Amino acid sequence: MVEKRIVGTETPRLDGVAKVTGAQMYSSDVHLPNMMCGVIMRSPHPHAKIISIDTSAAEAMGAICLTRDDVSTYMYNERLVSVPSATYRDRTLLPIERVRHVGEPVMAVAHETEELAYKAMQLVKVEYEVLPFVLDPEEAMKDGAPQLYDEIWYGLEKGKVHNNKGVIRNVEEGNVDEAFAAPGVKVYESDFTLNRIYHNQLETKTAVCAMQPDGSIDVYSTTQSIHGSRIIISKLLGLPFCKVNVKKMAIGGGFGSSIQINTVTPICAALAQKAKRPVRIASSREEDFYSHHKYPTKFHLRLGVDPEGTLVGGHVTALVDFGAHQIQPLAYMGCVSGWFADMYKYNNNIRFEGTAVYTNKTPCCAMQGYGNPQINFCVESLVDEICNDNGWDVVDFKLKNYRGVGDEFWGQGPTIRSIIKSCGVEQSLVEGREKFKFNERTPYTEKSGRFRTGTGLARGFHCSGTGGPSEGEVIDFSSCMIKINEDGSIDVLTPLMDHGGGTWDAVAKIAADTLCVPLDMVGLSPAETRSTGFDVATHATRGIYCGGAAVYHVAKKVKEKLLEVAGRIMLENPSDLEVVRDDELGQAVVRTKGYHRKSMTAGEIADHARIFSWGTIAYTDSYRQKNCPPCFVTHFVEVEVDTETGEVKTPRVLMYADCGTCVNPQLLEGQLVGSYNRGIGYALYEDLPHDPKTGELACKGLLVNYKTPTSYEMPSIANTKVEVCDTYEPTGPFGAKGIGEAALASVSAAVGNAIYNAIGIRFTELPILPEKVLAAIKEKEGK
Amino acid sequence: MNTRIIPKEYNYTAPQTLAEALDILKQKNVRVLAGGTDLIVRLKMGSEEAMETMLDIKRIPELKGIAYCEKGAHIGATTALADIEENAEIIKNYPALRDALVAMAAIAVRHMGTIGGNFVNASPVADTAGPVMVYGGQVHLKGPEGERVIPADEFFVGPGKSQLKEGELLTAITLPVQPADSGAAFFKKTRVKPDISKISTTVYVERDGETITNCRIAMGAVAAKPITLPEIAKEAIGKKASKALFAEMAAKVADTIKPIDDIRSTAEYRKAVANVMVAEAFEVAWKRAGGAL
Repeated sequence: MVEKRIVGTETPRLDGVAKVTGAQMYSSDVHLPNMMCGVIMRSPHPHAKIISIDTSAAEAMGAICLTRDDVSTYMYNERLVSVPSATYRDRTLLPIERVRHVGEPVMAVAHETEELAYKAMQLVKVEYEVLPFVLDPEEAMKDGAPQLYDEIWYGLEKGKVHNNKGVIRNVEEGNVDEAFAAPGVKVYESDFTLNRIYHNQLETKTAVCAMQPDGSIDVYSTTQSIHGSRIIISKLLGLPFCKVNVKKMAIGGGFGSSIQINTVTPICAALAQKAKRPVRIASSREEDFYSHHKYPTKFHLRLGVDPEGTLVGGHVTALVDFGAHQIQPLAYMGCVSGWFADMYKYNNNIRFEGTAVYTNKTPCCAMQGYGNPQINFCVESLVDEICNDNGWDVVDFKLKNYRGVGDEFWGQGPTIRSIIKSCGVEQSLVEGREKFKFNERTPYTEKSGRFRTGTGLARGFHCSGTGGPSEGEVIDFSSCMIKINEDGSIDVLTPLMDHGGGTWDAVAKIAADTLCVPLDMVGLSPAETRSTGFDVATHATRGIYCGGAAVYHVAKKVKEKLLEVAGRIMLENPSDLEVVRDDELGQAVVRTKGYHRKSMTAGEIADHARIFSWGTIAYTDSYRQKNCPPCFVTHFVEVEVDTETGEVKTPRVLMYADCGTCVNPQLLEGQLVGSYNRGIGYALYEDLPHDPKTGELACKGLLVNYKTPTSYEMPSIANTKVEVCDTYEPTGPFGAKGIGEAALASVSAAVGNAIYNAIGIRFTELPILPEKVLAAIKEKEGK
Repeated sequence: MNTRIIPKEYNYTAPQTLAEALDILKQKNVRVLAGGTDLIVRLKMGSEEAMETMLDIKRIPELKGIAYCEKGAHIGATTALADIEENAEIIKNYPALRDALVAMAAIAVRHMGTIGGNFVNASPVADTAGPVMVYGGQVHLKGPEGERVIPADEFFVGPGKSQLKEGELLTAITLPVQPADSGAAFFKKTRVKPDISKISTTVYVERDGETITNCRIAMGAVAAKPITLPEIAKEAIGKKASKALFAEMAAKVADTIKPIDDIRSTAEYRKAVANVMVAEAFEVAWKRAGGAL
């Protein structure tokens, strides 16, 4: 009998029991015999020359100290997903000459316990020569501003840094000037300021590193890429790849913050190498706060529109304040140009001018969307403005201008282009406006009273991975090994990481359906860099579409081998055989097609192969996706603005998700709802101002000072609706594409547009705090 | 700073009797652990350098629990905020205190934190201070020289400073029985629900028909300590309750207070919302006093 497909069925999360009972092993749970604990001394200064480091007192109490004298001077970039020529490198394992932001690691100490290590660290004397510092990117570009670097590695070449400009990236297609100058074209423009926020993932960055008797090192760490981590550790420790074994661990969320290796991991590895004992370093929350932020960016956006409501061109200038080290603002700006280009067709007239500037602040890295929520807020706000100004229906305007099936899509900036083959935009907009009663909304001019409600709409998307017909500047492929065990169960070995979105559930389901076994007959093997082929990282919403595709590809090959072996046993041509799942037998069954005269279970076949010494039915390979499909989302949001206190609530939201075939329905809903929570955090609550005198974070890295929305700030469960588009991605495993980052893309714009609809005020700066709302209302009323 | 580590060693003692506790308090540099939601945080942040002994008073039975009798409510110093918030007599007789408690922090913190701790910590933002002050509450202190009882609105001195002397313990907060036709309400503004107040207000009124016969107003997070505004409150007495009067009172409060800019909000915003919140608090307090508008 043929059973229902597992992909798309609600199944209990594979790691659910382990996670809710606390049995799940994370890096911080790894306790090895003879293990020491490490702590990192961090800079109190935003910019200072390190004159000397005296560790004698700490060493006298038995501590192992790691300083600049112990480490390699190789310059690296924490993030390793781009090709070497597009990876700018500016940091060393520990700073050699100077520190460049408050909280930057200076040196590290290991001792028997964390408390002893901390005590010893307090005895280390570091002499600094305090240097002038700069926090504002515009100030940083001026002549005479404090310079963070003389030279860095621009890919394969070393070069000077001028006026702190770390990256300049311009992209141009068509002719914007001509498009804007055409008769009848009206150009709308606005400045936008997007805030610096913190990832606030549950697990703070942790590493446990243990030297082995053969001179190799085992690494258990918080990472979204075990192979990326191995390459960096290998370079920094001077060990061949075969001697660096990074283990695949569960991680407590990432939101992009562990695409890079994280500075604690190489420090821990070097400390373990020096101590010749296992060492664990677990960052405190405050340390983690100083490790990575979302890219704050100032934009100037110009959009040209003709009298018929067609966008004829778009021009973006971006100023990125990325902090003291590059975790790839080059790729960030490329992506932002792409996300911009992908929103609408603009008659192919696009200009992007980006400058990314060093400042004495925490380095910025990817955070759910990699620039997409940033530029989305600008574009969708200005489009709302254009529609309001011209009296155009915003849904109709979007339907007229969006990029959909058959159009070009830049998956990861201008170097990664493919053609859109599946798209849920029409369904989301047309169905959504009815369902949400968006078409019945009234303008703000018809609203009065203290509490005013408004509705807003924004649409967004993200890429599914970074593959494509031709290789661009981002590396993308994954690897997998699958074998059929002698009882018919299967083992799947993949280096693919799951940072909470359910990637491992997805690949197990894909393997189960391809090889026609029940889900509980799939085992996900422990994996490490030694036992797996390369996978770039779980980032760019690529887990299911790219990682899952590698599993799908290998599973199909294993299936071919299964049929071949079955054919030999059953004396049938393999092409006359088929595999089906039999839930009663709990097995895959191979049988003759059409008239099932003969049938055997996969277990019987695999065991036959064992008994006759034919070998294991297994296959291993790498696989690259030759496409990069966008996953689309649409947010309809209702806000309620208290015009006397400036407080904004969002009592109702409708979200559309276009992920092709939905693999994990509950997890998909969780992604959308969770991202909505993060989205309102970005739009309404979170910000990371710095103390201009000390260069410290105003919140000092304390969560009591940095508030993120809780369940209280969310709409009720009944008013939080997720709809899944009916789409199929022909290039994805079982028709699936991504969703993770897309889920966040258009939240803040929808909230901003809803606020405009409620009170007639356009906010172009996030977060939209009650203090700002109240001030704007008073200004508008002339008070 | 590493808030996972307490970077110092200290003695820990948890006596079973009040006498023992007072005895230990005679030593040098003793810090009292009543709930820990402030002390442990400060320890981890390295700002309790001088502490030599941590005196845990949570195991002293007479310091814990709520009693209600004809004189009013007696709340032991180490009664958890969550226990007070769930107490039927408190809910019935002191709804503004209940408002403040459920609005405080996250649930886990309310199960750890205590009312005695909230008072002795003497934060300008202490949410329980306003309701206790306007209900005419008293603070009971015990030391080597015996017991002292201080009106709650005289207890606070400045940030982290109160009338509590060295060697003394706060043993209880008492609240008198409330007159018939009286009512109070607490309002606060925060960034997100479980948060420290940007600003808070508590308003208390007594009613005779349509006239306000007594009034007290307390404000949090607008000065160096939780404050009451008796001069302004006095102006409401003898007046007929109305929305206009409440708005007038709120405007006076907003004009008088001198809040500051900090990480949670701005002085300007605090003044602006005081103007709204105080009027709201008046309205609810008046309704609770049985008044109509």
